[in-house]
Amino acid sequence: MKNKGLGEFEELVLLAVCILNGEGYGISVKKEVERHSGRSILLGAVHITLYRLQEKGLLQSEIGGSTEKRGGRSKRFFKITDLGLKQLKAAQAVRQKMWQLIPQLKITLS
Amino acid sequence: MNVNKKNRTPALATWLANRLLKSSLHEELLGDLEEIYLERVSENGKLYARIKYWLDMLHMLIGFSSLNPFKTDSAMYKHYLIIAQRNLWRNKVYSLINILSLGIGMSVCLLIAAYVYFEFSHDRYHDNFENTYRVILENTNAANEKGSSPYTTYAFAEAAKAEIPEIDSFTRVYQPDESALVTNPETEKTISQNAESFLFADKNFLERFNFPLKSGTPESVQNGMYDMVITEEIAEKYFGKKNPLGKNLRIDGGNSAGNYTVTGVLKKLPLNSHLKFDFLIPISNFWNQGNGGSAKRYGGWERQWYGTYFTLGTTASPKTVSAKLDEVLLKYEGEVLSENRGIEKTTLQNLGDIHLASDKYTVPDYAANKGNLLNVQIFIIIAIFILFTAWFNYINLSTARSMHRAKEVGIRKSIGAHKKQLATQFLTESLLVNLIAAMLAFSLAFVVLPLLNTSIGIELDYGLFETPFFWLSFTTAVISGSLLSGLYPTLVLTSLGPIGALGGGKMTSLGNLSLRKGLIAFQFVASLLLIAGTFLVYKQVTFMKNQELGMDMEKVVVLKGPTIISDMPEVTDGTNMDQIRTAQAFTKAIFDSFKGELVAHSAISAVTGSRAIPGMSQSISRNDIRKMGQPASAGKYGRSFPVGPGFVETYGFKLLAGASFSEHTTKDGHVIVNEEALNSYGLGSPQDALQQKIMMGSSPKTIIGVVKNFHWQSLRDQHTPYILRSGGGINSFISVKINTSDIAGSLGHIKKEYASFYPGNPLDYFFMDDAFDRQYREDVQFGNLFLGFSILTIFIACIGLFALVSYSANLKTKEIGIRKVLGAGTGNLMLLLSKEYIVMLGIAVVISIPAIVFLGKSWLSNYAFRTELGIDTIIAPVLVLLLISIVTVSRQTYTSANSDPVKALRPD
Repeated sequence: MKNKGLGEFEELVLLAVCILNGEGYGISVKKEVERHSGRSILLGAVHITLYRLQEKGLLQSEIGGSTEKRGGRSKRFFKITDLGLKQLKAAQAVRQKMWQLIPQLKITLS
Repeated sequence: MNVNKKNRTPALATWLANRLLKSSLHEELLGDLEEIYLERVSENGKLYARIKYWLDMLHMLIGFSSLNPFKTDSAMYKHYLIIAQRNLWRNKVYSLINILSLGIGMSVCLLIAAYVYFEFSHDRYHDNFENTYRVILENTNAANEKGSSPYTTYAFAEAAKAEIPEIDSFTRVYQPDESALVTNPETEKTISQNAESFLFADKNFLERFNFPLKSGTPESVQNGMYDMVITEEIAEKYFGKKNPLGKNLRIDGGNSAGNYTVTGVLKKLPLNSHLKFDFLIPISNFWNQGNGGSAKRYGGWERQWYGTYFTLGTTASPKTVSAKLDEVLLKYEGEVLSENRGIEKTTLQNLGDIHLASDKYTVPDYAANKGNLLNVQIFIIIAIFILFTAWFNYINLSTARSMHRAKEVGIRKSIGAHKKQLATQFLTESLLVNLIAAMLAFSLAFVVLPLLNTSIGIELDYGLFETPFFWLSFTTAVISGSLLSGLYPTLVLTSLGPIGALGGGKMTSLGNLSLRKGLIAFQFVASLLLIAGTFLVYKQVTFMKNQELGMDMEKVVVLKGPTIISDMPEVTDGTNMDQIRTAQAFTKAIFDSFKGELVAHSAISAVTGSRAIPGMSQSISRNDIRKMGQPASAGKYGRSFPVGPGFVETYGFKLLAGASFSEHTTKDGHVIVNEEALNSYGLGSPQDALQQKIMMGSSPKTIIGVVKNFHWQSLRDQHTPYILRSGGGINSFISVKINTSDIAGSLGHIKKEYASFYPGNPLDYFFMDDAFDRQYREDVQFGNLFLGFSILTIFIACIGLFALVSYSANLKTKEIGIRKVLGAGTGNLMLLLSKEYIVMLGIAVVISIPAIVFLGKSWLSNYAFRTELGIDTIIAPVLVLLLISIVTVSRQTYTSANSDPVKALRPD
């Protein structure tokens, strides 16, 4: 797992964390991804991915915000790091570049 | 948002997560789980939420646990799983047999575990049960005979509490001996209730015993003398959906008649309780006016009728307390009683031990459904046998299959697989099979458990499956079992050299055959023991049913005696003997004319009224009896019960001398005794005994007849001296002997007469022989269970045997081919292939004979009248097993022996 690129699911999770802008924790990220991708996702998968991304240095997190709804337990909020943003952008750029290279598409678009 | 109890997250899952997840992750992960759980409960319902909660929890456990097997080498594990799965699919029949036999074995273990847990859980749910004890009285008379009983006197508990500081509190109970009619006065709905459905108890009963109340509080429901607590079922029967609190119920007849107010409703009583009742009535009521006021007559120190429970302080030792209790008895009873009861000693029996560790008391216990510790132990052994049989089977089957996988191992090894990797591969497969089997076992157990109630009458609950401890040990057992059973096949396979495995041709030896034969021998032993057990249990039950009982209960119909007699003179004062006598005379007059009408019918040969009937321990008194003229110290234990005229004839007792009771000549002091009484009290021959006098306590009785020994109760008990007293004022039961085959017609006549003599009483009747045989119900159930278990074990063992035979026949294909070419016949070859199993069976027989003899003898010693262990108990199981194994083995050996030698000898 030394591969530096982002997996598809990792990318979705990173994007969701960006959208939530500091309000992203397990459940909100799960819902955000579900909302946009239209598929249902296991909570555990989100957590595992969040932690993996943090290990890679793409996310950072802090504890905060407990509510009674969760039995008084606090949440862990995730925020994107500079490195994370850079990688997201890089992934985006790669795609962009490749999209433009598809011949038919270019014709129909122009 | 208020998190009420209903919306609590699944406790077990949370508990597991708490244990297994790193504590730094608890906050957020558990928090998230709970948040989404609550959302799901409100959106998709509780069940969905719970299932998802479990899935998510497990997912996180695997993802975050430090033991995560997928983290390091996840690609490899995935590979192992895929290969394992493919292997299972490829050999469908083999996998099915393997999983089925394991699954069935495990589910039997689960059921037995549920049963054992249920038996041991009796009464252990009451708060502070560790310090709560029941008093058992043992008395030794001057002739050094011992008697024991769980009954004490009424005043004893109060005196003991006052004198002994270690006793924190006491509770007494009294179970009446007479049935009664209970009526809801508003609707006039009347139901006849058994004596056992009533329980009189001290005010603090519901504080001592945790029987949860549906309505009312434990402290306040038993304040008044006529306050009554009923169970849910009874409330439903009398009041339907209406609230029964504050309503009235009237009791007619029985030990304590009157108008009662319902003050509390109990939830359904747990099945695992030694106390069973439907109506809870304050014991002060019985004390003040029970039996028409006669309960009080003896001052509270004479009548030993009450069960007494003491709760001791946490530091108190039951031994010291029981020594002090003995002193209390000596002091008070010495003052009050004129009669010497002999030496009385108390023992304190822990509340949790009542169900399983109770002895047989000379006076039958009021505790319901007593368990049998020996049976529970036998079942534990059976469970272990079955589980190991199943695992051994797995070992045998997988080793037998392993030669088909030799090539796979060879290839893996030659492309660089390590031994460790191969081992992981095979252990993964074993784990997979075991896990699937475990799931199958659970589904089976859950389906079968409720069926057990209906088919064999064993009532169980799911209590076991609610304890975390069970789940922990079950998981441990499955995992260690799969590792252990997978270990041997794994060792065999991984030790193959790559060249040998790929070298072509058949493997000549794979694994140690003698070990596997040993496993088969163990399975044979287990099967033999179980078949022998089944055989013995049925033999004993048949023996008991066919035993000469000394009385004839065929075509005897027993009616429950009337509880309401119209126009009866009232007894206003229970201590006024004149009033009682008038009432009794009135009752007797009605009964006599009823009896006259019945006997007049041609189909009815005899009628009698009595308080006791065969098979029941109710209304049997325990007496100190001696021949007249001997000193009081010579008294010996005996049982007595009052019977009316016609009893000896109705039940066909065989008179050896003298006459039976008759209407006109019999007086109060006349008794009929059995042979055992002659021996016990030194009365000589039956003829000599006539007109001799015996002393029952302090009153003299004249013997007017001697009957042959009879078995009043199950043949578990020894012959006891029985004294049939002349009496018959109270007819709890009316027995009618019918002498034609027209039972229906005679019953019609009885019904008609009963209705005209005793209007307002419901007619309850049963046939005596059925009721008597019901005593053996427990034994029959035990036999049925044994049968079921033996069939399962044999089935599993046969599968293993079949696998082993086909494996070794496969190894010997070439040998058989050569022998055939040289002219060996099918019979010879079959013998060649089967003889080693016959030898193993022989070894198994040798091992199991001492075990059968030892276990069989100790089981039979439960019964005073028992069948011989006999050589047939050994021969029958051996024959059965021999036959079954021959059938199993011969199918395979016949095929091999008949196969075409050309095919066998052709080079591969």
